[in-house]
Amino acid sequence: MTTEIQVIIIVLSGLGILYIGNLVRVRRLELKYALIWFLVGVLVIIFAANKHWLQSLSNFLGIELPINMLFFAGFIFVLMIIFTQTIVISNLTRRVKRLTQEVGILNKRIDDIIAAGTPSGEGVMLEKSSNKNEEEKGE
Amino acid sequence: MKDKLVIIPAFNEAGCIVNTVNDIIENAPEFDYVVINDCSRDDTYKLCVEHGFNVVNLPINSGIGAAVQTGYLYAKRYGYKYAIQVDGDGQHDAAFLGTMARYMEEHGTGMLIGSRYIEKQGFQSSGLRRFGIKYFTVLIKILTGKRITDPTSGMRMVGRDIIEYFAEEYPKDYPEPETAVTIVKRGWTVDEIPVVMKERQAGTSSISPKRSVYYMIKVSLACVMAAMSV
Ligand SMILES: Nc1nc2c(ncn2[C@@H]2O[C@H](COP(=O)(O)OP(=O)(O)OP(=O)(O)O)[C@@H](O)[C@H]2O)c(=O)[nH]1
Ligand SMILES: [Mg+2]
Repeated sequence: MTTEIQVIIIVLSGLGILYIGNLVRVRRLELKYALIWFLVGVLVIIFAANKHWLQSLSNFLGIELPINMLFFAGFIFVLMIIFTQTIVISNLTRRVKRLTQEVGILNKRIDDIIAAGTPSGEGVMLEKSSNKNEEEKGE
Repeated sequence: MKDKLVIIPAFNEAGCIVNTVNDIIENAPEFDYVVINDCSRDDTYKLCVEHGFNVVNLPINSGIGAAVQTGYLYAKRYGYKYAIQVDGDGQHDAAFLGTMARYMEEHGTGMLIGSRYIEKQGFQSSGLRRFGIKYFTVLIKILTGKRITDPTSGMRMVGRDIIEYFAEEYPKDYPEPETAVTIVKRGWTVDEIPVVMKERQAGTSSISPKRSVYYMIKVSLACVMAAMSV
């Protein structure tokens, strides 16, 4: 691993950490999900800075070039992160589904109550539903 | 309020939904019904409102399983004793609903499926689809020991226990064969009763040839998982 690539890796990782930190600061990213990325960034910097750590780990695993060791470890990390994201997405899907169902039933109850309360309940229902469709399109 | 509910999932069924619901109102008077409109892009919802139908409108398209589950959640909330799901495309004849209800009440069955392959009358579906259905019959037989002649039938009636279960747990898409396995595995009884189905009255089928490959693989896996996970 040349010094140039060491510097490039360290600078890029540093920039990445700053960028993620800023996203958390302006609340575009949950700190909870940002932590793992911070960890990756810091580990990459540590190993890029200490060539011989990487060297001995590579020797131990029988990988010839330390840089390959770095890529390999990064790849494993990314896989792990993506996998946890899949779990998070599955969870979210379930929740969105339940919310959608509840909103549907709730809307219906409200429409029923309005219809029972006003003589022209049907007109109210029609208006409400067309509002809903517009919101959908506006998204 | 009655104690039996018909759940009618509808996605882009503007051509069929009015006839389907009217058929139920006329020919299944002992049932309440609820249409679950899954954010259709056509006039399904508008038609339902215009006709004064009892309809729940899902604000986000959520798939057939989620739509049907909304019906079970509704049945649970409003205290129905029996719930039966019927496709929104008018393939299922409301005249059979009463027969199915009586069978349920007499036998205390957990889940009762309307099967078109017992008496083999009416619309039997294409040869390829029939082959697929046979395949699931065999798979379910292997997994549970129970022979279900029409495991993909969307016409199925359940009692209060299963209403409550389905309100919490229901597959998102292609739910029919998988839920049959789950119900048997959880120790409820599953029976079938002969019904006659019609061809879909208008609109397009949700299962295209391309999708059916995905369907076979996904549903097979889902059945195996369902058989293992109790
Ligand atoms: N909510 C929801 N419902 C759907 C969707 N696709 C189909 N459905 C409903 O599921 C039911 C059955 O769908 P069909 O396309 O007729 O499937 P099928 O009866 O197995 O196929 P055919 O024999 O070709 O009619 C109907 O009530 C449809 O409205 C969907 O994406 N979302
Ligand atoms: Mg159909």
